[in-house]
Amino acid sequence: MAILPPREDWPFQKIARDEKIWMGIAFCVSIFLFLWMIIWHVYAKQNPSFVTYKTTPEEFYQLTKAFIEKYKVGEENGIPVVKPPPGSDVFMIGMQFRWEPVLILKKGEEYRLHISSLDVVHGISIQPVNMNFMVLPKYDYVLTIRPTSSGEFAVICNEFCGIGHHMMIGKIIVEE
Amino acid sequence: MSEEKRSSPIKDFFDDFMLLLFLGVTIYAASYLIWGLMELAWLPPIPDEIKQSLLGR
Amino acid sequence: MAVAVHDWEKFFRTCDVTGFKVDLRAEKIARLNAVVAVVAFLIAIIAALLLVLTRWQMFHILPVDWYYRVLTLHGLNGLVFWIIFFELAALVFGSTAFLNTRISSPTAGWLGSVLAIIGWLMVNYTIFTGNADVLMTSYAPLKAHPLFYLGMILFAVGALVIVMVFFANLMIWRRENPGQSLPLFVYGLLAAAIIAVVTIASGAIIYIPTLLWSVGIISDIDAAVYRLVWWGLGHPSQQINVSAHVAVWYLLAFLTVGGTSINEKVSRFAFVLYILAINVASAHHLLVDPAVSPVWKVWNTSYVMYLAVFASMIHAFAVPSAIEVAQRRRGYTKGLFEWLKAAPWGNPAFSGLILSMIIFGFIGGITGVVNGMEQTNIIAHNTLSVPGHFKGAVVGGTVLAFMSVTYYLIPLLFRKKIAFYGLAKFVPWLFGIGIAITAVSLYILGAFGIPRRHWDITFSGGPFTFTFNPVVDFFWALFGVGGILAVIGALIWILQVVVSVFFGQPFRGPQDLQIPIAEPPPPSEGEHNGFAAPGTFVLVLLFITAFIIFVALNYGWLAAMWEVK
Repeated sequence: MAILPPREDWPFQKIARDEKIWMGIAFCVSIFLFLWMIIWHVYAKQNPSFVTYKTTPEEFYQLTKAFIEKYKVGEENGIPVVKPPPGSDVFMIGMQFRWEPVLILKKGEEYRLHISSLDVVHGISIQPVNMNFMVLPKYDYVLTIRPTSSGEFAVICNEFCGIGHHMMIGKIIVEE
Repeated sequence: MSEEKRSSPIKDFFDDFMLLLFLGVTIYAASYLIWGLMELAWLPPIPDEIKQSLLGR
Repeated sequence: MAVAVHDWEKFFRTCDVTGFKVDLRAEKIARLNAVVAVVAFLIAIIAALLLVLTRWQMFHILPVDWYYRVLTLHGLNGLVFWIIFFELAALVFGSTAFLNTRISSPTAGWLGSVLAIIGWLMVNYTIFTGNADVLMTSYAPLKAHPLFYLGMILFAVGALVIVMVFFANLMIWRRENPGQSLPLFVYGLLAAAIIAVVTIASGAIIYIPTLLWSVGIISDIDAAVYRLVWWGLGHPSQQINVSAHVAVWYLLAFLTVGGTSINEKVSRFAFVLYILAINVASAHHLLVDPAVSPVWKVWNTSYVMYLAVFASMIHAFAVPSAIEVAQRRRGYTKGLFEWLKAAPWGNPAFSGLILSMIIFGFIGGITGVVNGMEQTNIIAHNTLSVPGHFKGAVVGGTVLAFMSVTYYLIPLLFRKKIAFYGLAKFVPWLFGIGIAITAVSLYILGAFGIPRRHWDITFSGGPFTFTFNPVVDFFWALFGVGGILAVIGALIWILQVVVSVFFGQPFRGPQDLQIPIAEPPPPSEGEHNGFAAPGTFVLVLLFITAFIIFVALNYGWLAAMWEVK
């Protein structure tokens, strides 16, 4: 009876057979899910990165600017377009309310994508592949990515960053 | 009932609400909060070779 | 020294329905908190309607600044204030009336309530006047007016004072009843109260420096530290709900069909697992954050090897089996499910209980585990899958459970007859089905990558554009319909509560009881060795199958994405 004190011998009550079986199943599933995350982390190819460096908005801005100058191939709607070589360190910066630069990557090649914010917290959401990560000021998050499909991909901000949040959209182009 | 009450460690533990309060707060503080804050504090800066390759210094 | 002999009896009334001794001073405090809870709920529901009609791009009624303002109001009033005030009422009432004991300190109870209410008013005022367009999470360095943070702190302190009163009440009860164990309902509230201590302490740790920062005393709040500590408030506050609504499930199983947990040791064990392991799941929110390591993420996001999920699955058997066993003792023993068919479906508290369990388990629970796994979070984080999950867990689970139990609180706590009782039997269905449709459509929209908390997914004014898969239009419509159904259900319920409490006819005794309270079932015929609840066993097997399939599907989708490490 949920509203009255339990029967005196409750610590000694035998567990019914079906409840016992169910608890066994539920426990095994729980432990399996835990192990599954570890197995996936070790053997599979989609895992959140764990490489992070401390930085400052000034330092990260300077690095991104140098990166853009080095590999710039054009400009689109006022936003620089860069084409870094495969295997390189790639920088993208989020700020109220845009992403810089536009990246041209090669399908099947690996890049170390550094992301950070100049001001508040942003979220990077690459669509339509639907991959989402957080972008924090003062933290350089390094995602080692390998695009496995080609075409134009949108980079959407998916963490509320102010009144112009919905205008914050960038681009990644993946070439064959 | 004249029968002596059987003692049960399970009952003692489950009924000790101050101990449960202590454990609940401590496990959270140690496993989530303190461990997490320590990891934030120990992050390295951006390595020099990455900086040099871009800034050329 | 002579101990002053208090005449406690003058503070009590004896409930003519339950026989409980009710401390009138505690009753007043509980009533106040419950009323404030309903007002906060009303704000959240009106906001919800505006939000549904904005995100459903066909209507898009709110301008951009008001969208985020109303979203902030909705989040805080719905997810924090309504639920916590309701829980404060439950803590005060549960730790006195249900234990036949007195309130330890009415003064502290009033102080806590008044502080929390002042905080609540300040927060709502700053948001409404456009000074805190920062959403519920208020991630620094996005800044709100200092009054916003001060309001949150006052609310937290007020709530903490009442939680302390709860513990002091338990101590009085313990002194008066040495060696006794708490009733299961109060035990569930105890778990909620312990989780509340963690929640509120984390809130204080982060909001006090943030307040100092907003007035310029501290120069900087680190974004990652803020997120880490804030989620110690944000997530456990929802775990308070889980414990509290599971406690309410046990209570409702008893009130509606006379069902009792078939094994109190097992049910209590599950609550203990909540207390020990559930709080660390704040890590759900930091899975795709920089800074914290995978070991920290996997260990904490899994509630220490999924012990809390294990606990929820124990309750998932314990509550329905309590109903099943009680019904079987009444003679509904045919087949696997006669007990369920012959249940009192006309009782809104019963239909609400069943819907709350189904929506919480099948929608809220399953999606929650998938969203909260280290890797699948990549394809769910900050998409509409997140609100999809907590619409199922919190709104379908907690809110519906609280709405259902309120039909008992109106006569027993407020001593009023329920107004328009004939409408009550539709409320759980309207609200439950509405919110289930909303939750599922949001989840699917999220799987298409649509961000949450986003005013315009056509990105008007941005340098580029992007068009989501056109299939989403169908789910937006479905989301809108579900949302409106749920809003209608909630508004009927609010109308009933407000009219009953403020203008209702007095409840004079058992003859005025509109909502039935079940007689205890006849005692069982000795110990049996077979299955106690075969019907429930089949239902939980169905659940675990759905669970495993959903996890597998999500990892399948994840494997189709770009490689990342």
